[in-house]
Parts: sequence; C-alpha cells; structure tokens
Amino acid sequence: MTRYLRLLAVQLRISVASAMAYRANFLVEGVMSLLWLAITLVPLIVLYSGRTEVAHWTAPQALILMAYFIAVRAVIEGMISPSLVDLVEKIRSGSFDYVLLKPVDAQAMVSASRYEPWKVFELLGALALIAYAVPRLDATPTPAQIALGVVLFGTGVAATYALWILCAAASFWVVRLDNLMYLLGAIFDAARWPVQVFGEVWRFLFTFVVPIAVMTTFPAMALLGTIEPWRALATVLGALALLVVSRLVWRIAIRSYTSASS
Amino acid sequence: MIRARELTKHFKVHRRPPGFAAAVRSLVHRKYEVVKAVDGVSFTIARGERVGFLGPNGAGKTTTLKVLSGLLHPTTGEVAVEDFTPSRRQAGFLGKITLVMGQKSQLIWDLPPSETYAMNRAVFDVPQAQFDATLGELTDLLELGPLLGKPTRQLSLGERMKCELAAALLHRPTTLFLDEPTIGLDVAMQVAIRDFVRSYNQRHEATVLLTSHYMDDVVALCPRIIVIDQGKLIHDGDLRQLIKTRDPDKRVSFTLTQAIGDGELAQLGALLARDGQRFTLRVAEREVPAVIGQLLGPLKAADLAIEDPPLEDILREMFGKHRPEAPA
Amino acid sequence: MIARTVRALPTLLRIGVAETVAYRAEFLVWILTMTLPLIMMGLWTRVAEVAPFQGYSPRDFVAYYLATLIIRQLTGNWVAWQMSEEVRSGAMAMRLLRPIHPFVAYAASHAAAIPFRSVIALPLAIVLLASSGASGLTSDPLQLALVVPSLALAWLSTFACLFAIGALAFFLTQTMAIANLYFALFSLFSGYLLPLPLLGPIAGIAAWLPFRFMLSAPVELLTRPQDHHHLAVLLGGQLAWTAILMTIALSVWRAGVRRFEAVGG
Repeated sequence: MTRYLRLLAVQLRISVASAMAYRANFLVEGVMSLLWLAITLVPLIVLYSGRTEVAHWTAPQALILMAYFIAVRAVIEGMISPSLVDLVEKIRSGSFDYVLLKPVDAQAMVSASRYEPWKVFELLGALALIAYAVPRLDATPTPAQIALGVVLFGTGVAATYALWILCAAASFWVVRLDNLMYLLGAIFDAARWPVQVFGEVWRFLFTFVVPIAVMTTFPAMALLGTIEPWRALATVLGALALLVVSRLVWRIAIRSYTSASS
Repeated sequence: MIRARELTKHFKVHRRPPGFAAAVRSLVHRKYEVVKAVDGVSFTIARGERVGFLGPNGAGKTTTLKVLSGLLHPTTGEVAVEDFTPSRRQAGFLGKITLVMGQKSQLIWDLPPSETYAMNRAVFDVPQAQFDATLGELTDLLELGPLLGKPTRQLSLGERMKCELAAALLHRPTTLFLDEPTIGLDVAMQVAIRDFVRSYNQRHEATVLLTSHYMDDVVALCPRIIVIDQGKLIHDGDLRQLIKTRDPDKRVSFTLTQAIGDGELAQLGALLARDGQRFTLRVAEREVPAVIGQLLGPLKAADLAIEDPPLEDILREMFGKHRPEAPA
Repeated sequence: MIARTVRALPTLLRIGVAETVAYRAEFLVWILTMTLPLIMMGLWTRVAEVAPFQGYSPRDFVAYYLATLIIRQLTGNWVAWQMSEEVRSGAMAMRLLRPIHPFVAYAASHAAAIPFRSVIALPLAIVLLASSGASGLTSDPLQLALVVPSLALAWLSTFACLFAIGALAFFLTQTMAIANLYFALFSLFSGYLLPLPLLGPIAGIAAWLPFRFMLSAPVELLTRPQDHHHLAVLLGGQLAWTAILMTIALSVWRAGVRRFEAVGG
C-alpha cells in the first residue's frame, strides 16, 4: 500500500515540477481558468435572463449544477485525460511493456501518471460558484444533503474514471480507439445542463449509455435535495458497477496484450 | 536460475493479401494463420551464467525473452525463473529481474533520467540508503554524472542507453534480460556497455541473457550461446565448441611476394578470398603446421595469420540451409 | 515558384487525404464540430418550445445550429496543433526544405480533408436545414449565391488565424494554451455557442471582432434575410479581416522561421 502512495506522491511531484518549469504558465493558466469560467457561464446567464425556470431548475440551482460540471471537468482534464493519453502513447511506442515489468498494478500505474496541476484553479472556481449560489437558493441545503452531494460527487468522478478506462482499454485492441476518449469529452459537454432539459431519447442516453447524468445532474440534485432516495442509491450502485466492469475489461485487455504482442 | 521446458509460443496472425477486393473481404471473413514463434525450446541456465541468444531476425529470440520476463504467456511448456512462474508477474519475481529493450525506452522523455529513477525507486520500494548506494555505483561505472539532470530528449543515443541501463538496474535485479542493448551505438559505447555488463555480472552474481545482432557483443561477453532459428533451438553450448563442431577448419591468411600457381595453392588449402597478393585459405586443423611450414619456408609468405572461422560465417551457413522465403 | 506550386497541388491534396485518416487531432476537431452545435440545439429548442426565446422559435434554433454545424464542418481545421507537433518532433525542419511555401502546403492538405470528413454529416445537415421550415431561411438567390464566397473567406480567415497561432510554436512551447484561449474566444464571439443577437451587451463588441466573420457571417447569410447594406457589411468585413489575418499570419511565420534558423531548430 505504501508503495502505491509513494508512487502517487512521486508522480504528482514530477507533474507539478514539470508544470512549474514554465513560469509563464502560471499567468496564462490563471487567466485561462477565469476566461473559461466566464465563457462557460455566458449561455447560462443568457438563458436565465429570459426565463426564471428551465425544466424546473431555477437560476441558482442551475449554477450549482454548473459548479459540479466545472469540478468534474477539472478532474477529467487535470488527471484522468492526461494520464490515459500518456497510456495510449506508451502502447503505440511499445514502452507499455515496461509498465508491465513493474511490481505495481498496471492500472494503478497508468491512471495517475500525469497531471495538469493548474486545473486546480477550476476546482476553486467551482467552489466559488457554489458559495455564490447557495445563499440565493430557496432553501439552504441540510447537512445530510451536503453529505450526499459530496458522496455523489465522488461516485460521479468514479463513473467518469471508469468510462475513460474502458476507452483506454479498448485501445489495446485497436490503437485508434483512443479517439473514443475525445468523443467522450465532447459528449461530456452536455453535462453542464440538467438532464431533464433534454428530450426523452437524450435523457435515456445520458443516463444509461454515456451516463453524464450520473456525473453531474444527480450529484447536484443531491445537494439541492431534489433527488429521490432510490435514484441516489441507484446512482451509487451504478457507479460501482461501472468501476467493476471497467476493471474487468482492463484485465481482459492486459491478458490479450500479454498473449498477442510480439 | 532459468529453466525452460518444451516452451512453445504461437501467434495467430491475420494475413491479408493485397488488393481492394481482398481488403473488403477481410472485413467480414478473416483468415488467421498460426505463426510458431517459439517451438519446443528447452534449456537450463544456472545462476551467474552469461548466455548469448543468437539467431536471424524473426527467429524467436525476443519472444523467448518476453516469455521469460512474463510479458507473454507461453502457449504450452513450462518456464521457471528463480523459482517463479513468470506469467504470474508476482511482485517478488518482478523485483528480481529486469528487461532492457534496446529499441524501446522506459525513461520519461521530457524529464531528466533522475525523475524516472525516483519513480522506479518508489515502484520497487527500494530503501533510500540502498538506492543511493546503487545509483552511486551505477553513476561511477557508466559515467552518468552530467547526464542525470538533462532531459532525456537532449541526450544522445549512447547516453540514453547508459541511462536506460541504470534505470533497469536500480532495484539490483539478479537476472538480466538484455534485448539488443547496443543497437545503434558506436563501437566505443558498445565496448563500454559490454564491460559494464560483465562487471555487474561478476559483482552481483547476476544471470545475464543477451540477444544481439553484433557478434562482438556475444563473443566478448558470453561463454555459452544458444542458437535459435525459426523457433527451434539448434545449438546450446560453449561458443568455441560450436565453432569447432560446425567448422573445424582454420582460416590462414598471408601475403606473397612472388607469384603462385593455382595447383600449388590448392595443395595448401581451399581458397576463400584473394585480394591482390593477399590470400585467405581454409586449412584443416591437423594440416596447419605443414602449411605454415610451407608458407614460412619456401614461399616466404608475410603477415601470417591463423584464425577460427568468423562466427558470422558459421551462423550464416547454419541459417542459410533451411530457409524458405521469410513471410512478409 | 507559383507554377511549381500549382503543379504540385494534386499531389499535395492526395497526401492531405492520406494524412487526414492518420491524424487524431482531426478527429477531435471533427467530433467537436458535430457535438457542440447539436447539444446546444437540443437545449435551446426545448427552451423555446415553451415560448419563443428573444424572437427565436424552435425552428429558428434548429436552422441556426444546423447552419453553424455545416459552416464549422467546412471551416474547422487543426493546423495549429499540426504545426506545434511538427516543430516539436523536428518534422518542421523537413518541411522548410521543400520548395513550396508551408502556408500553401498546409492549406492544401486541410482543404483536402474536408470532403472526407463531411461526406456523411454534411449532406444530412444540409437536407435537414433546407427542410427545417425556419422563417429566416434564405430564398433570395443573390444572398444564396453569396454564401459561396462567404464560405471561402470564412475558411481562409479561420485558417490564417490558426496558422498564425501555429507559427507561434517557433517562439513558445505552450502554443496549445494559446490555441485554447483562441477557441474560448472564438466559441463565444463567433456565434458558435449562441446566436450573436442573444449576447445582449456583448453583441456590439462581437460585431466587429474577426471571429464573427469566420463563422457567423455565412450563417447569417443562410438563416436571416439581409438587406443589401448588411450584405455589404458582412462580405466587406470578411474581406477586410481575411486580409488582415493573412498579413499577420505570414508576418509571424516569417519572423518565426528567421528565429528557427538562427536557433537551429
């Protein structure tokens, strides 16, 4: 266990040192975070300047959802995506063999190998948004809701991670399948809106096929106290199931790699 | 200690004939061919031995190394390395071995090698004191001092290879699998790496398995060689023994100052090469003294040299015998 | 130089096609150009179903975002990424040895990519657009005819801008950060995210920035009837900004190559 923690610490230190090596980055990244935040909010502002409620979501509620979206996106772009893009590059070049030669679980080793540390600014931005929106809600969230909101944020991130691992595993078979990760990232953009806004077909797709509802809408609903208990439970179980499935597929992919690579 | 018994590794390869029609057909119906990369190979290697794997491209050497290091599962047969089953990839096993692939890199490209070393230390759970000692030793032997802080992409090929070797040895493995470690390096660097490997083998009693296309690597480093061709093991033993059994004749080279008739030449031995007045003959071993007598005496030959046949020629002859057209 | 370039064009185009299939960045751009407008369309049509939003009915939104998708498919490119990668990998040095100006070479390969990227999506989108029954859909033949040059200018100005950003790779290592900045500004001010009139106070600024003329101009031509004054403004603006952006692009390029050759790559 300590081995894994130490590995994580080293990988984090390396990424931060790498990022710090470019001093100009600090300013650029800070400005970028603010800019992205502003631009992400513009459609929301435009929407709620003309309506008080969209699909039963008021403006402050939609802001909370947006905060969840920004937070999950920060995790994706800050940790999940850089690591898995690195993995695909290793598979392409054959250096992945060296990962298998290390006495550490391969999935653990590749999942957190690269970071974009500046994305932490966006996490802070998300928290700032929540701080802004909460006082403007009709009802302040109870401690239970806050707890559930945090838990479902965790499962949302877990489900996101599981999906990305599935894509990365697929690239063992056909290297170009890593493009799926880009596709996922593009679809994820819809997660900034409440899933209830979209039509039935989309709602089904966004809950069961590419479960962006699990990533953002349901966790936000948990914080806001608008989620049914059964749905919250289903979300947690669904995320766990997805994690298990992704682990299984990963192991199959490794097994296939170690019997076929020449 | 390495033991392989009837090791076999098959690959299913999808062969697609050229042409548009075939490409379309392959979308629905794929024809798979079984390639026998390794076919019933058996050998035992004791602790501390240095063994060279020789064979033409595609013979199965790299595949064998990958099976021994756990990267590939054998199709049939048994493999044991230091009492572990490689394909299970247990942590204890992985901590004892190392694989260096001359054509693939484990160093992080944009960062100095020292960062990769830090990562390996964490991964192999090497205590700090031992890590420092090992790194110090490697830095001295391989002259890594100025290289450790430069980003990998700024190092030359030779410098990179030295750093790769160091990265592979930080956890003090006792079994080394080296797959073409000197490929693309200049002669001086090849010699340096050979010396280093021999030194490591002697200091730590580490078993070394080496594949290389450079005969000099194998001749200089490995008293024992295993020859693999088309997946089959065709020789396992002492290098000198191989040369003696395959081609016991010596090569005698000399320079003549006077002309010599073909008949007279043929009496000395079979003519292998001629460059102006410099001749190379093949002479049976027991006849060498007589031939030398002739050359030094009446013929007044100069620059006399008596050598074993070059390993390349022997191998070329071994592999050339039963070579069907290699698949594309 | 020019004659040689013209002779080389067919080959350049053919290779452009081959490269298209191999590039990942291309896929990313293609995917983004498809999904973003569709997601927005999904959102705004539902919003407008309750009541028209600031004058846009659901049909208007459908038409707008389909038009945006079409134009973006036709003008989007990834040359900034490609240039950045080539400088990093050293392939740029090879390119500089060839007798064809890289601006032309890159332009040819990216233009060639368009038919292959859009062979499925585009006809579908056009059919849907034509049948959307939106109120603003152009039927004026003059306006429709102007869509073609407008598209060409939109493509060229987008390309020039991204080429300029790509040329920054000679100076900076983190060109992609700048490219992201550009895309952020572009998505807002070009009408990609939202129809420009919806932007309220910002719409005034957006009307003059180059981004509008890279995307919104042809979209406006397709989806809203314009009087002749407006037609002149749109096309004139496109011409002006295309000229400006090309000048900037070639200047940055020249400075970059000088630096590249001085530093040794």
